[in-house]
Amino acid sequence: MNCEQIAELLPDYLQDTLSGEKKELVGLHLAQCAECRDEVAVWKKLTLLPIEQPSAESRLRFEAMLHAYLEGRERTGPGLERERHVGTGSFWPWLRTPVGALAWSAALLVIGIFAGNFWGNRTAHNTTSQDEMAQMHQELTNMRQLVVLSMLQQQSASERLQGVSWSRGEEHLDPQITAALLRTLRYDASVDVRLAALDALSKHASQPQVRRGVLEALQPEQSPLVQVALIDQLVEWRDRDAAQHLRNLEQTPNLNPAVKQRAEWAVSKLN
Amino acid sequence: MSLAPDEELMLDVRNGAGERLGVLFDRYQAPLYNFYAKLTGDRALSEDLVQEVFLRILKYSRSYQPGTPFRAWIYQIARNARVDHYRKTPKHITFEPEMAPPVKPKDEAQRSQEAELLHRALMQMPEAKREILVLSRFQELKYEEIARLLDCELGTVKTRIHRAIQELRQIFRQLESGAAGSPTTATAQAIPPRRAGT
Repeated sequence: MNCEQIAELLPDYLQDTLSGEKKELVGLHLAQCAECRDEVAVWKKLTLLPIEQPSAESRLRFEAMLHAYLEGRERTGPGLERERHVGTGSFWPWLRTPVGALAWSAALLVIGIFAGNFWGNRTAHNTTSQDEMAQMHQELTNMRQLVVLSMLQQQSASERLQGVSWSRGEEHLDPQITAALLRTLRYDASVDVRLAALDALSKHASQPQVRRGVLEALQPEQSPLVQVALIDQLVEWRDRDAAQHLRNLEQTPNLNPAVKQRAEWAVSKLN
Repeated sequence: MSLAPDEELMLDVRNGAGERLGVLFDRYQAPLYNFYAKLTGDRALSEDLVQEVFLRILKYSRSYQPGTPFRAWIYQIARNARVDHYRKTPKHITFEPEMAPPVKPKDEAQRSQEAELLHRALMQMPEAKREILVLSRFQELKYEEIARLLDCELGTVKTRIHRAIQELRQIFRQLESGAAGSPTTATAQAIPPRRAGT
């Protein structure tokens, strides 16, 4: 058999679905044809590629999305389900209405008063109180994170902006929020949301992944407005690695003249 | 963990038990993530696309017809989600030198170097050929399933797979001979960007 005839059988040979006789024919051909043998070898080598594993955050994002969807469906009823955007319809926007905000604030106040009393009255059981307070604090933090992560995935830019602004309240960014903000900075379709994400990240320069993420966002960014903001941020941080990236950026064909000028200025500041 | 078949779980989701989607997510998030990671070479984007697939399942659950193999259905959604993403956000093709692998002695890291070259060869292939290789080699889809997914004849799938293997081999061997001479040069010429995961 020649290579052309073998080509028809080879895909089945690779999935090991050939009958005995045909398999033998392919085997005989492979023994004498280096090129076809190499094709099989390269196919087998593909198993060298690692199996990629999604991050733990992926499950959390899914849960937040599912939660928002189920909440929304409960409020709108199944009949309206198909007419609305998933996850955008009911619960989170409701929190931002005056009534929702009031309810949210009241809930936090009640939790605060309860926690205060609890703390004051239970000094005799200090260890238990501390544990419970820590647990309560953790739950509040988790809820806040859930809200931020959920809002950053919304379809409307204004809701994503809201998500970014909620993340500003965090003194120390949780890694999941950091990752979500960096993803927003890199991929969000809205210039405003990307700028807001950069602003939120700017206060967390002590985290190496924030600096790295901002640096990596520079080259693929297409909006001159965001490019200039990124450059300014890198200058403000006096980022040691930035100069080379900025020089690379300067070489980009059709770069906006204002961005090019800003990059040149930044390189002179960083050197 | 539920042992119910995918199709039964999806019918439950379709009939209003959205929480049953969690089981399907646990079964499919890793294969889908791998599918996207090997197609795009971008981990963060791959995670976003996996989320998008499950969001679409919820949105369009009523379009799932009883008797439809769930695996075929979800891969159809996955392909559409990727196409839609690139329609909205055109790809930025840039080379990031810092992503190049460290140069190691050949005998010390031959396997990892081969894997890196294979990854690069795969990323240099035209998308359609890369996709059919990923579907058949990594997603373990049968040729019949791929034919249904791509809406073409079984014979066409086999021909395309063979051509894709030929091209992969050609690029891989070229990269390999380049890497043997001058690893950094070969890297810089060849490779589409691959961003580190978050």
